[in-house]
Amino acid sequence: MIDRLTAALQRSRADYTEIRVERTWSTAVGFRGRRLESATASEDQGGFVRALAAGGGWGVASFTSLDRLDAMVARAVELSRAVRVTPSIRLADVAPHQADAILDLDGDVRGVPIAEKKRLLEAYNGELLTVSDRVVDTVASYRDEVSEYWYVNSEGTALHELRPEVTLSGTAVARRDGTIEKGLESIGLRRGWNSVQDKAAGFRKAAERAVQLLDAPMVTGAAYPVILDPELAGVFIHEAFGHLSEADFVYENPQAREMMTLGRRFGKPALNVGDNGAAAGLRGTLPFDDEGTPTQDTPLIKEGILVGRLHSRETAATMGERATGNARAISFRHPPIVRMTNTYIANGRGSFDDLIRDVKLGVYACGAFGGQTLLENFSFTAAYGRMIRDGHLAELVKDVVLAGNLFQTLDRIDHIAGDFRWNQMGGGCGKGGQAPLPVTEGAPHVRIEEALVGGDVASRSR
Amino acid sequence: MIERLLELARRRADGGADALWRQVERTSVAFEWGRLKAAGVSEEAGANLRVRHRGRVGVAGTTAVGASPDDLVTRALASAELGEELALHLPAPAPVPSVATFFPPAADASLERLIAMGRSLLEQLEREGCRVNVTIERETAETRVANSAGAAGAYRSTAIGVSAEVWRIAGDDVLAIGDVFEGADLPSDAVLAALVGSVNARLEHALRVVAPPQGALPVVFTPPGLSALLLPVTQALSGKAVLQGISPLAARVGEQVFDSRFSLTDDPLRAGRAASRPLDDECVPSRTTCLVERGVVQRFIYDLETAARARAQSTGHGQRSIFGKPVPGYTNIVLGEEGSGMGEGSDALGGGLLHEVKDGLLVDELIGVGQGNVIGGAFSHPVALAYRVEGGAISGRVKDAAVAGNAYDLWKRVGGVGNDARWAGSRYTPSMLLDGVSVARR
Repeated sequence: MIDRLTAALQRSRADYTEIRVERTWSTAVGFRGRRLESATASEDQGGFVRALAAGGGWGVASFTSLDRLDAMVARAVELSRAVRVTPSIRLADVAPHQADAILDLDGDVRGVPIAEKKRLLEAYNGELLTVSDRVVDTVASYRDEVSEYWYVNSEGTALHELRPEVTLSGTAVARRDGTIEKGLESIGLRRGWNSVQDKAAGFRKAAERAVQLLDAPMVTGAAYPVILDPELAGVFIHEAFGHLSEADFVYENPQAREMMTLGRRFGKPALNVGDNGAAAGLRGTLPFDDEGTPTQDTPLIKEGILVGRLHSRETAATMGERATGNARAISFRHPPIVRMTNTYIANGRGSFDDLIRDVKLGVYACGAFGGQTLLENFSFTAAYGRMIRDGHLAELVKDVVLAGNLFQTLDRIDHIAGDFRWNQMGGGCGKGGQAPLPVTEGAPHVRIEEALVGGDVASRSR
Repeated sequence: MIERLLELARRRADGGADALWRQVERTSVAFEWGRLKAAGVSEEAGANLRVRHRGRVGVAGTTAVGASPDDLVTRALASAELGEELALHLPAPAPVPSVATFFPPAADASLERLIAMGRSLLEQLEREGCRVNVTIERETAETRVANSAGAAGAYRSTAIGVSAEVWRIAGDDVLAIGDVFEGADLPSDAVLAALVGSVNARLEHALRVVAPPQGALPVVFTPPGLSALLLPVTQALSGKAVLQGISPLAARVGEQVFDSRFSLTDDPLRAGRAASRPLDDECVPSRTTCLVERGVVQRFIYDLETAARARAQSTGHGQRSIFGKPVPGYTNIVLGEEGSGMGEGSDALGGGLLHEVKDGLLVDELIGVGQGNVIGGAFSHPVALAYRVEGGAISGRVKDAAVAGNAYDLWKRVGGVGNDARWAGSRYTPSMLLDGVSVARR
């Protein structure tokens, strides 16, 4: 395949050309309640070409029929020429690499019969259903894939990889009269069959949580000291800060560039943030990004100060910085754009108890149903919360939605515990119509001095 | 292609089969931060096959279909072997309504034409201290569906998506205001001018920042702003949610659940809409479905499988992609009493509802819609773009505010219906005034 792609490259008349080809085998099993939704095996394949002619813009072509490879290379070059760009697009230097990498398949999922995958998920789904008769519905899914990946560019890079992935998720829906609550368990790994065994406890816990939330009051909307558990702290740093550190947002926007000037203080000295696409064994980890740049650990905030950002080759060249290996595409259907990999808040000191000891009234926000950011403003929904009263954990509360302004909130992080962990969740990140991209987030427990928690504001007495 | 696939499937599966084949070509141009940056094409073709064998149903999909139709049938049968028993009833041949889905001006528009359209938008939106992103995408598709009961359909379709976004960053104040056109045909100059007008009007009002109000207040939701209030209702009206026992509207057909000014229709026959089609992806002819009429719940949407399990009829809402099995999905959702509005109405922000508001909000975009326990109806979202309304007029943009409430409760008391009905994506709605929405500020 590499030879075929290299030959196609040589026929390109552009200054720069890259070709990606992917062939993906996947299986998916889904349960809804006691019923199997489907168990399917799929095959997806296709290619992607990106070309840059002298003085031209990006010419891009994607296709599912590999017979069309030469025609699509020609088309991409033609499109690049049709788009005149001044000043012309430049790419940061990256040394050419040739690599053949088979990631740890950890029990190759292609060797496991789909009936066995169904049995595994049926067992986990059963854990959700048997917790209580209040659990009226479940949504459980298992998905795996092995993707064979080829990448070549006209600067001499040639890569071949075999990439595994497996995700497992379960949602329990509990109901009493008109009240409906959910509990969620989600696991996502760049590994194989061996890594999704013995996961029943997490599913059981999710269902128990859904049932407990039926009796929990809605949190009273107000500004509180808030402690984020490592899972939610990870989502927070991804949503609220990570997206701003993607250089495609700032590189051609002078006002944004000014807002994100390196050296600016973003937080207290306790705060250290980074993105590490080379961290061992995580879902956002790969040896190279989709431009053939090696991945790396990129510090973003050091002791509260902005020190770095995430780049593609184009954004790095424009800003006179180095490519960081963050140009990623979810599949051959899409161009690589600047994305996160494994984003983290680095470890601090002390324990969870140290964080809540002097909190008179606060919220301990746990787990994540999701998050969204509109640059300076963000919102994320915790799976559940506990009130903190006089330095101790108190009652369970529901509908904990945290909303805020990035700059204010980052600056209000005043305590970071020493209990860091990576959250190996499923799902993924969405940007520019590309979702879900496999990413990981990691953090210890984090305290925000004050944050707005949405809830039943109308009943608040003031 | 699809005939051959069905023929192969029929030989090996004893309970019938149906299939979808779709070929899509897209052309796109992107203007990034004020300059033309990229042009792209994509070509994709694939097939999705469903078989019933020994009473069990299985599905399989592929984008490598030319190479291995036998392999696809084998995988579908393997899927059926594990599948549940299901009395899937494949529809017999039936007359299909006519709806225009293919518009030659859209299909034939050259790359230069698309670039010129983008450039014109860019020029009209550019202003001091702002940066503009514009993307234009044109899609032409060919869809074929058929089943072993003899039903079949084929149609070509076009779709155009235009999106424009103006970014203004002043210090740490980030403002992004955009609008989108989605349709089956090329937008007219008047439609593009309306898009520019809508962005500019919202930008002008946003330049002044004011403190948000607080409490249970009247709030006007613009057509794009209504997402958080409509999502729980559309989720609850899906036959699948009813079947699973999680729809709060399940046992309420025929009841007055909402304000009499709340009517909801799904209409796959709307001319010029990208989601319109003569038949669904399971060979069921399209028809207009009234979901809620004057506040009274009428019916739920079904695909073939959900209908079979619920002992109901498919409403023609089977949606299927190349991978995975068909699922029930909406086409064009129309909010309105008569459900027949077509043209663009008033272009004044708030649709004439603001004069009724002494102190409240106009909400255009919320952050985090779709997160959390949506079908339960409770929502709480920070505003992405909202304005304070004082004494019947907009006084400025509010930041750091959140709105909360329960969608089912709020739709019981509609305070007013705007005269500005328009399409926002595949949803046609006016602005709506709702009373007693919780507004919190920091």
